[in-house]
Formats: sequence, C-alpha cells, structure tokens
Amino acid sequence: MKIARRTALGMLGALPLLCAPPAPLFAQGTPQTGGTLVMVVQPEPPTLASYQSTSGPIGQVATKVYEGLLEYDFELKPRPGLAKSWTVSADGKTITFLLQEGVKFHDGKPFTSEDVRFTVLDVLKKAHPRGLNTFRALETIETPNPLTAVFKLSEPAPYMLMALSGYESPMLPKHIFGTGDIVKHPNADRPVGTGPFRFVEWQKGQFMRFDKNPDYWKKGRPYLDRVVARFIADGSTRAAALETQEAHIAGFSAVLPVDVRRLEKMPHVAVTTRGYEMQSPIVELDFNTKSKPFDDARVRQAVAYAIDRKFVIDNVWFGFGRPATGPINSNFKATGIYTNDVRNYNVPNGVDMANKILDDAGYARGAGGVRFEIVHDVTPYGEEWRRFGEYVQQQLAKLGIKATLRYEDVPTWLRRVYTNYDYQLTNNWIQTLADPVIGVHRLYHSKLIRAGTVFVNGTRWSSPETDSLMDRASVETDPKKRAALYHEFQKRVVQETPIVFVHELDFVTVYNKRLQGFLVSPLGIYANFDQAWLQK
Amino acid sequence: MLIAKLRFAGRRLLLAAPTLLVIVVLNFGLLQLAPGDAADVLAGEAGAATPEYMVQLRQKFGLDRPVYVQLAKYVGNIATFDLGYSFRHGQPVAQLILARLGPTLLLMVTVLLLAVGMGVLMGALAARHLNRWQDSMISLFAVLTYATPVFWAGLMLIVLFSVKLGWFPTSGMEAVAEFHTGWARIADIAHHLVLPAVTLTLFYLALYTRLMRASMIEQSTMDYVTTARAKGLNERQVLLRHLLRNACLPVLTMAGVQAGALLGGAVVVETVFAWPGLGLLAYDSLFSRDLNLLLGIFFVSACLVVVVNLAVDMLYALFDPRIELR
Repeated sequence: MKIARRTALGMLGALPLLCAPPAPLFAQGTPQTGGTLVMVVQPEPPTLASYQSTSGPIGQVATKVYEGLLEYDFELKPRPGLAKSWTVSADGKTITFLLQEGVKFHDGKPFTSEDVRFTVLDVLKKAHPRGLNTFRALETIETPNPLTAVFKLSEPAPYMLMALSGYESPMLPKHIFGTGDIVKHPNADRPVGTGPFRFVEWQKGQFMRFDKNPDYWKKGRPYLDRVVARFIADGSTRAAALETQEAHIAGFSAVLPVDVRRLEKMPHVAVTTRGYEMQSPIVELDFNTKSKPFDDARVRQAVAYAIDRKFVIDNVWFGFGRPATGPINSNFKATGIYTNDVRNYNVPNGVDMANKILDDAGYARGAGGVRFEIVHDVTPYGEEWRRFGEYVQQQLAKLGIKATLRYEDVPTWLRRVYTNYDYQLTNNWIQTLADPVIGVHRLYHSKLIRAGTVFVNGTRWSSPETDSLMDRASVETDPKKRAALYHEFQKRVVQETPIVFVHELDFVTVYNKRLQGFLVSPLGIYANFDQAWLQK
Repeated sequence: MLIAKLRFAGRRLLLAAPTLLVIVVLNFGLLQLAPGDAADVLAGEAGAATPEYMVQLRQKFGLDRPVYVQLAKYVGNIATFDLGYSFRHGQPVAQLILARLGPTLLLMVTVLLLAVGMGVLMGALAARHLNRWQDSMISLFAVLTYATPVFWAGLMLIVLFSVKLGWFPTSGMEAVAEFHTGWARIADIAHHLVLPAVTLTLFYLALYTRLMRASMIEQSTMDYVTTARAKGLNERQVLLRHLLRNACLPVLTMAGVQAGALLGGAVVVETVFAWPGLGLLAYDSLFSRDLNLLLGIFFVSACLVVVVNLAVDMLYALFDPRIELR
C-alpha cells in the first residue's frame, strides 16, 4: 500500500493561490495594504537564532523571516509551505519534497534543495534542541535537482512531518550559514530567510524591525509594510500599550489574565485562545516517584483526586483552560491520538475518595490529623503558580498532608527538579507540542531519565510496557494503529499517575480589531503574517 | 593648578585599580554560589532539550571547566579590557553594555540634574520660610513623593497621562511605528523621556530637598553668616554668595553616591516604562545566569562610580576653594 500524503497537487497546479492557504479564521472584507503592525513580545528574545533555540519569544519574531517546508491547518494536517508537495514511500522510509519555484532569500540568491539538505543535516540535526530528536531517524538527504529533496530514513518517522514549520525547522541559506561556526554565527542576529518580512534592525531592550519583502514568492503578499516587535517588561504597561493602541497584538498571555478580562470589554480590543494548537501546554503536578511518600502510586492517586480542576481554572487562571485527562492534550482529538477513556480523577467527591485511599493504604493520621509532611515546590514562571501552590496546599491539608511551599528562581528550580531530583512535589507546565514523539515521550520514557537535562522525565517514573508502547508508536505509520498504541499508553500513565494532569492551559492573544488575517493556522503568532493586514 | 588637578585625577584612578580587581573577584565568587547555570536556563526556555544538547551547551560556555580556571581566565580578560562574550545574546559583552549605556546615561543625567536642581531650590526655599506654610507644603510634598513606591507612581502617571489624557506614550524610547529621524527623533525621544524621568525625579527630589533644608538651617547659625550680615550684606547676598555654596556640599556628596545607585538601580522605572537601560539588562542577566554579562555590568558600574566620585571631589574644590586636591 502506498501511503500518499500528497496534497491535492493537481488542483493546486490549476488554481495556484486561490485555494493554497487555508482561509483566515476571522477575515472580514478585502485586505488593505500598508501600515505598521506593532506586536508586543514578552520577554525579549535572547537571540534570533531560531535554528538553535526554540525559546518562545524567538519564534514569535524569527518566523517572519524564516519559513519552513510545511505549514499546518487547524486539524494539524500538513499544508504546503516552501515545499509545494511531498510523498511518503510505502515503507515510510523515503519522503520526497518538491520545492516551490522562484523562491529567493532576502539577499536575492535562490532557495534550493541544497539549502534544505544543509539546514536539516548540518544545523537542525546538530544544534537544534529538539532537532536531535526529531531527525534522529534521518540518515541523509538526496538532492537530485534544485527543487527536489529526498529524505532517507533508517526507520519510519511519522512525527517528523509535524515538525517542519518555520518555527520548528526554519530553512536557512547555505551560502550564509554554511561558512563559520554555526553556534556563534555572525548572522545569528541578522537573519536572512525567504519570509514575507526582512530583518532591518534590533535595538536591544526596545524593538525589532522587519520591513516588507517586495520580492516575496507569494505574489501580492505581504499586505503589511512593516512589523515591529516591542519589548515591555511590565505587565500593566503592556496592557496600557494595547489600550492606547500603541501596540496591536500581544500573544502567549503577555497580557496578564486579570488585564485581559478588563481589556476585552473595550470596543477596539478582541481576545482569542486559538493559534496555540501546536503548543498544547498542560498544567501539572509532578511527583518525585523515587522518594517517600510519592513512590507509592496510591498516594499519587489520592493527590490526583483531591484537585478540583474547575476551581483551579476559574479561580487561578481566570477561566483560561479546560480540565486535562492525561498526558496527551485534547487538541490531538482530530488526529485520533487523544482519548479520555482513562481513569477519571476529576470527580465531585474527590477529597473523600482520596482520604479513603490513604486510610486503606495504612497511612494513619498522627498528631493534629497529619499523615505526613512534604515540601511543595512552586514553578517560578509567574504569580498564578504561587496561587495554584496555595490551593494545592489547602487541598492536601484536607487529606492530612501538611505541605510547605517553596518558591525559588528559574535556574535554582530547574536544577532542583531536573538535576538534583531534590523535590517531592512541584507544579509545572509542559508543552506537548505538535506530536507526542516530540513533546510527550520525553516525560515518560526511561531513556529520558537524564540528570542535567531540563523538561524531560523528572519524575523518574517509567515502565517497560509504556516504553514499548512509545517505541512502537514512533515508527507506526498507520494512523489507526498508532492511535491505538497511544490510547493504551494514556490509560497506563493515568492509572499510575506519576503526574497529576490538572488542566490544558489556554494561552491568550489580545489584539486590536483593526488587525485582520493574522490567525490562519494552529501556529498562531508563530506563522509568518503574510496574510495579516490592518484596517485603515 | 591644572597640572596638579590632572596629577590628582591620575593618582586616584591608579588607586582604583586594586579596588576594581577586588570587586571583580568578589562578584565572581558570589555569583558562583547561585544554583543553576546558563545552560539550565537556555534549555529551560527552549522548553525541551536532549541530553547531548545540554553537554554541548556547557562545553560551549566553558562551564565544564573548574571554577578557578574560569576565574583566572576572566580576570586575565578584564585586565586587557576584554569583557568577554555573552552566549545568551550571542554578542560581545562590551557591545551589549555600550548599547544600553546611552539610554541609561540620558535618564540618569536628566534625573540627577532635575532632582538636585529642584531639590536645592525647594530645600533653600523651605529653609528661608522655616516653619511657615511654604515650608510645610514643601515638606509634605517631599514626604509624599518619597513614600510613594516608584512602580506605583509610574503606573499612575501612565494611567493619567497616557491612557486617560493621551499626552505621553506609555513606554519605550521612541515611536516604533513612525521611526523619526533627525530633529524629529530627538523631540520624540524627549517626549518619551518625560514620564520615566519625572517618576524617578519625584523619588530622589525628596531626599535632596530634605538634605538641603537641614544643611541650610545648620549653616545659617554659623559665624560667617553673622559676619556677612555685620559687614552690611543684605539677606539676598548672604544667601547667594555665602550660604548656598556651603549648604550645597552635603547635597553634592549625596549625588555622587547616588549616581552609582541610579546606574543599576533604575530597574523598576526601566521595567515599567520599557526604558532600555542597564538596570533591566543586569536584572535579566541575573535570572538567566548570564555571568559574563552580569560581571561586565558590575565592572562598568564600578568604573563609573569611581569616575563620578572623582568628579564630585573635584567639584568640591570648585565650590569651596579651601579644599585642596591632594
């Protein structure tokens, strides 16, 4: 059987740009050209080298310059990007990309299959934090002609096609990045790509400026003359800048939830939680499963029962989220991978259930009704985590678990949880990304219990069964069989609950209603904004 | 005279060198105590990293070498005025600091001039009208502005003057939609400077006002004032020619000390108004464990404090010719 992941190429050939990009979600009227879009990016990115850091703010700006081979629609299906079509061989081990014609880098040199080969093999596979994993099965890339790139794999890698966006795998010009040390390249902060906007300048601490690329390969695009990213460290000031219309858009919850609720009532402001479907963050409580008392699955289950998901979402996160059921985000529903047919801890009488479990397990209450005392670490990514920690502290008290909160700065906390494993219970949030192989496996696989590496398996829980399920799912090319493997995986993980899955966090984008056509794919602000326009 | 001054300056700068060395070594040692390193932070921001990548990072940053080797290398570099490389920013530290020095100095000098100038004026005024309504009003104002938290004052000014009245921009150093050039750009930057400068001035103003008032009261009981009056000078002449000059000295000392604090201490104002200053850069680099950059900022701040204090000492001689520079 030939698995044709080929898109409707014939149709595209006949009607080039009419049906190529998915229709913008909130488009109204005909696009108007001109204008400067001011986006607030928080925090300021450390560099523009999106080929060696996936740090969120870098993606928000670098994607205007660098593009990827593929784009994606809201069902998480690949769409043409710099590759106009692609074919996967029957054994899943050869993927052939046909590139768009007439694509030029900002310095006028053409974009060819040689650039693809260089970028993926010499840069992404070596220096990209996730690329080492994404392209681990990739052995070589053949370039029979300038517009054809053939990926040769050692084993099938269905997840790889989910990681080829301009954010995850930006395509670089070989004639620039091919010389010199890639990790300290002089062009790191002076990016040259194929995208709709050209990099002009970066005044550190203030702004980055990108001007329209007049030779962009999609004729008639982009509509905007300029995109400027501004950096404002204070949350209240960011809100004020949107209020006074000095800025048009702020994504990734750069505007604090409390301000969102105030701004959304204003006539010129709109709010959306779409455009993060390939990030899919989950709010969690992570246990140290190698030390008492959380080495006992029954204690972990008791804690999982004690958390009222809806209360947390409504009161700590101002309603931005949905209860989570397991390790895989419900955004994957469309692909069939997600299931909610797992043990359900989100029940009305959770505290009673939890107490019963602890009683049955023989954890008797001592003086003052306390079964045991723990330290609960709070992840240092903002105020809401502290409030969440306080809520958990209260709930645990109802179970007879006396928790003390500990709040440290980012490097200290990372070191504690992922290097020294010197913790018992910590709250945390993990992006499950575009495919479980990229975003989920790292948290559960025994191979990824690696001290010193952050955001991997810090609970140190694993089982031979779940390892095997993940290994098989990575190479399974039949979507149905792959989904079945993941369903089984979710059941087992939720049963053992090394992590309490609290809720699927919604990032919020606040934007000015004059801004149209920016939300065209699950990449949201990580898209290249070639269709964005400002109403006069 | 000029030669004597230059020699004085040269000797002072030479004496500062060992002080700076101690500062560098101390800072380096202190920062080693902070848990976690730059690789943790970078990978943490990335949201995911493979173990191989972490090893790569630590090698690249030189974090895999013993601490004393790192220190020796750093001190060696500093001695040749090489501040090193910030891996986080992918730029030489000197370049990063230089880019922020302009806005920092602009804000700092504006605030110092405003705060000292107005503080001296208001302090003198209050002392002249001691215990009358002018004095009470000025003292009340000073206490109020001093007691108001800087971030709150800043936000309230934004709410009033940017959001409600629309007179000033909320933040930043220039208008990024227009990108003015030439004189229009200078006017634009001045326009953006108003709110942050006022916020910070309000805070420091109180200090100088109180200091000047106390100093004036103290000086006015001195014998030379009586002498001046006895030789027939009117109150105005006594104030301008005698009192003011002497009363200014403590204010000047304070300004010298605070110039250093202003350099890195404007973090709050820089945060609220998105002003691209050194304080915010230092703050960020601490939380990202970008030690090269942080040490570089400390070093530059220390150098500036040395220079400012030298300038203040030389100003003393100008205000009070009896003070000799030795």
